[in-house]
Amino acid sequence: MDNSYLLGIFAVMGIATFITRALPFVALAKLKNHSVLDQFGRLLPPMIMVVLVCFGLVSLEVESIDRGGLSALSFVVVILLHAYFRNPLLSILVGTGVYVIGIQGFGL
Amino acid sequence: MFGYIPLGMAFGVLFQSLGYHWLFAPLAGVVIYAGSAQFMAVGLLAAGVSYTEAFVATLVLNSRHIFYGLSVLSRYPKHGLSRWYLIFGLTDETYSLITAKPPESSGTGPYFVYLTGLNQSYWVLGCALGASLQSFFAFDSAGFEFALVALFLVLLIEQVRSMSEPWLLAVALCASGLAYVLVPNQFLLVAIGLCLVTLMVRVRGGGVHG
Repeated sequence: MDNSYLLGIFAVMGIATFITRALPFVALAKLKNHSVLDQFGRLLPPMIMVVLVCFGLVSLEVESIDRGGLSALSFVVVILLHAYFRNPLLSILVGTGVYVIGIQGFGL
Repeated sequence: MFGYIPLGMAFGVLFQSLGYHWLFAPLAGVVIYAGSAQFMAVGLLAAGVSYTEAFVATLVLNSRHIFYGLSVLSRYPKHGLSRWYLIFGLTDETYSLITAKPPESSGTGPYFVYLTGLNQSYWVLGCALGASLQSFFAFDSAGFEFALVALFLVLLIEQVRSMSEPWLLAVALCASGLAYVLVPNQFLLVAIGLCLVTLMVRVRGGGVHG
């Protein structure tokens, strides 16, 4: 285990995260009432979230039909739970729970 | 905001699969402090990516935060250390807590610092708990990676509720499909790039005057 590599990655990711959070405060403050920017602020985040959901799904590395079915099932569970209860914790825990049980309990 | 403890624990458990000392998990919560980026970090570390790759991937992943900052700009303190801590701690969760209330009733600087600090404490505690428990008991963490998908999905559902132009979500889906087929190694960068280009065309073509 290379601790200096780990710390380097942490530092780099910490700095990149801070940059994304600080950018509007240092660079975009003057443009605050710019309507083009407002529209980006309104329309872009949901689009990015669609991409991130896809990114997450791709990262699961589904290699079998059973695993694909399990992913789909867990996915639907999260959507339904969140649509009805709107409790992020419940949706995430139960959805992940279904996936974990499917893999560990049923060998999917 | 108590959701940060179990989610942090999920990260801690996943992190332990890399084989580092468990104390590094809460350290990630202190220095990076971004749920999705930390989950991604586990994958990046496992793949042994370069610093540059990690930097770019994090910028792309967290680019949504740029737009969070814009909407809380006027509510945050103008100067001082608290301003910079608040900016550092502007996570998805903290953002939604702060913007959930109308501007006039959402409180002031000291309250925001309290809220942000509390959120980060829960998160760091969760990371430490998950990683230490996993290092002592070594239970099977297969499948925990779904927590990241579930997290993004929940955030997406929250944002879709206020989305005025749903066709753009289909565009984002197509962009993801295209990026996956054409350049799977640069998936995030290409997919979000395609979304940005489409949105630029839409905003300019919409007869909007700035």
